[in-house]
Amino acid sequence: MPEIFIDNIRYEYETPGKVLQFMLDNGLDLPFFCYHPSLSIPANCRQCMVKAGMPIFNRDKGTYEIDEEGNRKIRYFPKLMTACSLDLADGMVIHTHHSDELVKQAQADNLEFILINHPLDCPICDQAGECPLQILTYKYGPEGSRFEHKKVHKPKAVQLGPRVILDAERCINCTRCVRFTDEISKTHQLTIVSRGDKNYPMTADGEEFDDPYSLNTVDICPVGALTSADFRFKARVWEMNQTPGIDMSNGKGCNTWLWTRDNLILRITPRFNESVNDHWMPDEARLSYSRFNENRISRPQIRLDRDEQVPTSWNNAELTFREELDKVSPSQILVLGSPHASVEDNYSFRKFFEEKGVNEFFYLPHIIPGSGDDLLLSDDQAPNTNGVNALGFRETDEAGLKKLIKSKKTSIIAILDDDILERTGLTAKEFSGSFTVVLGTNHNETSLSANLVIPITCAAEHAASYVNVDGRIQRTIPAKETLYTNRRLNLEMSMSRLDHYGTKFDNWVTDANRVDCIPAWEFFTRLGDEQTTPAYHSSREIMEEIAGRISRFKEVSYDRMDDENGIQLELKQNTEVNTV
Amino acid sequence: MSDTYTFDTKDLKEIENIIAKYPEKQAAVLPVLWYAQDKFGHTDSSVQKLVAETMDIPEAHIHGVVTFYTQFYEKPMGKHVLDVCTCLSCQVCGGYDMLHYMEEKLGIKAGETTPDGQFSIQSVECLGACGYAPMLQVTNDKYVNHLTREKVDKLIEDLKAGKKPEFESMKMPQHVNGSDK
Repeated sequence: MPEIFIDNIRYEYETPGKVLQFMLDNGLDLPFFCYHPSLSIPANCRQCMVKAGMPIFNRDKGTYEIDEEGNRKIRYFPKLMTACSLDLADGMVIHTHHSDELVKQAQADNLEFILINHPLDCPICDQAGECPLQILTYKYGPEGSRFEHKKVHKPKAVQLGPRVILDAERCINCTRCVRFTDEISKTHQLTIVSRGDKNYPMTADGEEFDDPYSLNTVDICPVGALTSADFRFKARVWEMNQTPGIDMSNGKGCNTWLWTRDNLILRITPRFNESVNDHWMPDEARLSYSRFNENRISRPQIRLDRDEQVPTSWNNAELTFREELDKVSPSQILVLGSPHASVEDNYSFRKFFEEKGVNEFFYLPHIIPGSGDDLLLSDDQAPNTNGVNALGFRETDEAGLKKLIKSKKTSIIAILDDDILERTGLTAKEFSGSFTVVLGTNHNETSLSANLVIPITCAAEHAASYVNVDGRIQRTIPAKETLYTNRRLNLEMSMSRLDHYGTKFDNWVTDANRVDCIPAWEFFTRLGDEQTTPAYHSSREIMEEIAGRISRFKEVSYDRMDDENGIQLELKQNTEVNTV
Repeated sequence: MSDTYTFDTKDLKEIENIIAKYPEKQAAVLPVLWYAQDKFGHTDSSVQKLVAETMDIPEAHIHGVVTFYTQFYEKPMGKHVLDVCTCLSCQVCGGYDMLHYMEEKLGIKAGETTPDGQFSIQSVECLGACGYAPMLQVTNDKYVNHLTREKVDKLIEDLKAGKKPEFESMKMPQHVNGSDK
């Protein structure tokens, strides 16, 4: 196997590649700014320089030349090489700052150059705390500045587009953003204008940076030059904690980080998953975080008369639900699962009604044809259409639903988290003949027209799995506490410094942002008959049961989903529309 | 905006010929921009848009190219554009003196155009004539070397009279090998 020596340690490599990527893969450190594994390699920041050489091969003898000490003679490249663009070669010798003074000096000097015109505004910069320039300067940079002149001034706080703001002075011209629009989103909206110390990224004159993926440039910007118009000045990154999650706004199921502070989701950023979204995420998905915080249903709601819904106790909600169920025959119950709810919630929802004798289950796909693209936006607006399908819910549509209500003469309509009224032509009138139970996360048209509303946890509050448009099952981890969960007790939840040391008696933490809701499966566990329904303690147990019972979910488990970053299921897409 | 500037069929044919000379059309951006600037006198954003649409190349890229080179004019310029080099060698030999003298003489600042539309002054980076510093270039064409105030006066008078400077062959100081002499 070909070998390479980095700082006098031997490594073997199988596939050809670049030195920098190889070092990163092996956990070695080397500073860099412009390199990004998913973009082309311009080698323009000059920060990853190493001393590189090849052993001298004697063609006549067919052997390597050996020096007096018995080591291979090395012929070094005359100047330092950028590791990001240097191909691995058999026998190559690399010296980094750990074993070569020149490299160390070069890294510090290069940083000094980069910092010459960089404003020293870290205290007010949004990037501070997650800024490669800040981190690498601490690690590799010069100690102070020798630059005594006035720095070059460039435009500040330029609204590049609806979601991205540019501070040109902070830019170090790594061109990651330009390459992103050229190579990934392919909108070609950005370029570097002017030259020398005056250059910075810009759109063409009069054009807006309205790329549907524009916020990715904020992520990959190694300095605070591009910041998110939405997240700007909202929170310091070191006060937030981040929890892995799945995007709920779209069928693609982009892997995400949910960033919380004081129990509010403040932003969503992409989490690397090679098989789903790589390093990227659509803007729409990022800005969907507010639904986790705002307009949440907290405490069960019950309709007293025609116009008024009032909060009620969990006990009363459960009793009312039970009473209503006891009144009717199973054939009069219409059960609507949801592509917006998780596999576990849909499963326990279905199972509960199955035990009551209901044998038909439906859902309405939420698909807007033409709204997707061939990158990360799908026509499917729901995160779990394939999941609810695989659980045996039958697809129906608006007309089908109307027919069902008529033919069944329904007395109870049970809807799992899905704003059916808002996204179809149906009105509250159609439901008015029945007792409508909605298990929902947010107030919406459907929940407001219901007779009984059970608040359930959203994707940011529970551990649950979702099957994306490509049939990949992935799971979430709770990021937000509900009234009944606690970061300190739930070992799966992450804690920031503020979560650890903040108290409700200080100025930064309130106890207000906790929603009174429970996972849907927990509600059915409470309602269920102790004799027939095994009580679940966690969604993990439900997934174990699903994996044992439904062949499509065979061998699916939380552990595997965590280890493998999601599991590809063998699914046959059910495109047949059930019209009954 | 771009209705103001259009390429007619002859232009389009010419541009097609330019593009055909290169393996990739991106390589033809510079000559096509030259062509556009010759025709319209500048390459402002509407000309950039026109070029981008004609060549089917992202407008942002064209914008980047235009702003990179001071030789492309981002806004309408005077009839004669005086590009005064203020890069290192010229600066050391009095480039800024010449620039400021010209500014005073014409009553405009670098980057501005005289109200009669005759002259624009630009302070530009190295034009590769360090050997005859300080120097300037007239409307992306002839160089005027070894500038002095008198030379500047004469140049402006000549230009006003419609007389363009002639090409001046400059002799480089010959490298003398010590052993020969």
